[in-house]
Amino acid sequence: MSLISCHNVGKSYGHKRALDQVSFELEAGQAVALVGPNGAGKTTLFSLLCGYICPSQGEIHILGHHPGSKALLGKVAALPQDARLDPNLTIESQLVLFAQLQGFNKQAALVECERVLNLVDLNEIAKHKPLALSHGMSKRVSIAQALIGSPQLVLLDEPTAGLDPANAKAIRELVRNQSHQTTFVISSHNLDELEKLCDKVLYLDKGILNQSISIKDNQAAHYLTLTMQECDTEALMTQLSHWPQVNSIKSNQHNEFVIRYNLMQDFELENQLFKLFSSQGWTYRTLQRGRTLEDKLFSNE
Amino acid sequence: MDIVSPKGSISGVMLLAQFELKKILFSTRGLIAVIAFALVWLLILWYPVKEASVYLFSTEFKQFITALFGEDSVSELFTWQVPEMAIVWVAALYLFPLFSILVSADQFASDRARGTFRFLTLRTSRNTLFFGRFTGYLLIQALLLLLTLFATLLLVAYRDISAILPALGSSLFVFVNIMIVLLPYTALMAILSLYANSARQATIYAVLLLAGISIINNILDYYLPDLSSLLQWVAPGAQLSMMINTHGVSSLPIAAIPLVQAAVLLILGKTYMARIAL
Repeated sequence: MSLISCHNVGKSYGHKRALDQVSFELEAGQAVALVGPNGAGKTTLFSLLCGYICPSQGEIHILGHHPGSKALLGKVAALPQDARLDPNLTIESQLVLFAQLQGFNKQAALVECERVLNLVDLNEIAKHKPLALSHGMSKRVSIAQALIGSPQLVLLDEPTAGLDPANAKAIRELVRNQSHQTTFVISSHNLDELEKLCDKVLYLDKGILNQSISIKDNQAAHYLTLTMQECDTEALMTQLSHWPQVNSIKSNQHNEFVIRYNLMQDFELENQLFKLFSSQGWTYRTLQRGRTLEDKLFSNE
Repeated sequence: MDIVSPKGSISGVMLLAQFELKKILFSTRGLIAVIAFALVWLLILWYPVKEASVYLFSTEFKQFITALFGEDSVSELFTWQVPEMAIVWVAALYLFPLFSILVSADQFASDRARGTFRFLTLRTSRNTLFFGRFTGYLLIQALLLLLTLFATLLLVAYRDISAILPALGSSLFVFVNIMIVLLPYTALMAILSLYANSARQATIYAVLLLAGISIINNILDYYLPDLSSLLQWVAPGAQLSMMINTHGVSSLPIAAIPLVQAAVLLILGKTYMARIAL
């Protein structure tokens, strides 16, 4: 049984079409990224998956059930965008209520609350009220509540937006560590982050699912992404385009090159590149097997 | 980790109801509301209720009340064994619905506007959430009513300790009847606070709705009296004037009106809750 199955899902707000004929199937396992520009319909899709709103057309099934059905209570959790805890109650009292509703007894709910706050390194604020927390801390508490009871599916809408780099890294680590028992669907604009965490990527644009790609696809072996520190861009591109094993080379960003080549034994192309850098006195920053997620999503190849 | 299953509907409703009660009793905002309520009742108890034993049975007062409401409307009021309880009955009959509108205006509005519901609906069904909050706000009002009746009993005991037993019987009658009266108000506010963006907005909607129904009914009474005689039972509190002149079991047939109103409003609210976008 698929973890998530969407078939021709559409959602309209009056005359505005937020989602149109979206179909995909996701299996449990590696985290999934949901990418798209602002207004692409990512939050609408999340809201549909959580059962906050109903689709105008189509069918959604999570673990074989409709979103919002009783069978999914406690199995699906979310970090919804812009949702806030009650400012008049302590974090602990609210998280304990959530845990109790999920079936924990009072004592076990307290332990679970402590566990999830520990995961986001915020145990000391359990007795605080939400208004006493910074934006980043509030976001981490909201992530903590999504982990109560170790649900099978967690939907995270912009989990690291507004977090400082250290805490964003901690959240990425947390997602990675929990991935063995929970499947995460993450919406974010940070493609580097998604590349590190996710395998499958769903790309939404103007309410339409444009692409569904795998980061670790078998095409990876035919590409190298080279980022130079210092070089003569034109000379580099001219030289490489004359190499017989190179099919094409392009530069989408300053000092970043995507090389498509015929797969060779013993890192021959890589060795030739290093020799070229040495002879020309150029320095490179990174040499990456495959293409970046950004290149996969936005290049025409 | 142990595998846990979400709470069943009844235990979920009770858990949410208890949580609402705790919110009132252990939060600054809730305590301020309780203190404001206590002050209003302190004034009512200190002046009209405390003096009830003196003036309720005076001929002048009887004549005044009879002239105001009509002989048939208040005759039962003078048969109460404990006059303080009779005054509390009348005051509670009209004041508690007002308190109910104010107290239950935030059953859902703030949480919905803030998005807090999104955390809850992944852990409990919308039905459980709806009835849990409704029950919670009934518990809060029951607590306020019990406090009022307890204070009245203290006043009665202070005047005449031998009147405490009949006063206890009357308290039970007042408690059961007022709670029934509050059911449709609380259910109405549940729907309005689901629709409104804030408690204040829900209160305004309630005032507009109740006043609007009353105005429409008055107009209909002139042009379509048959329809008006039917529609007059639609609004919560339609039976209040009839309830003044009841005591003991004679009020139970009238209780059917708020019970039916509450049932209809709860079905409407449950349906609305199931469809609303969060």
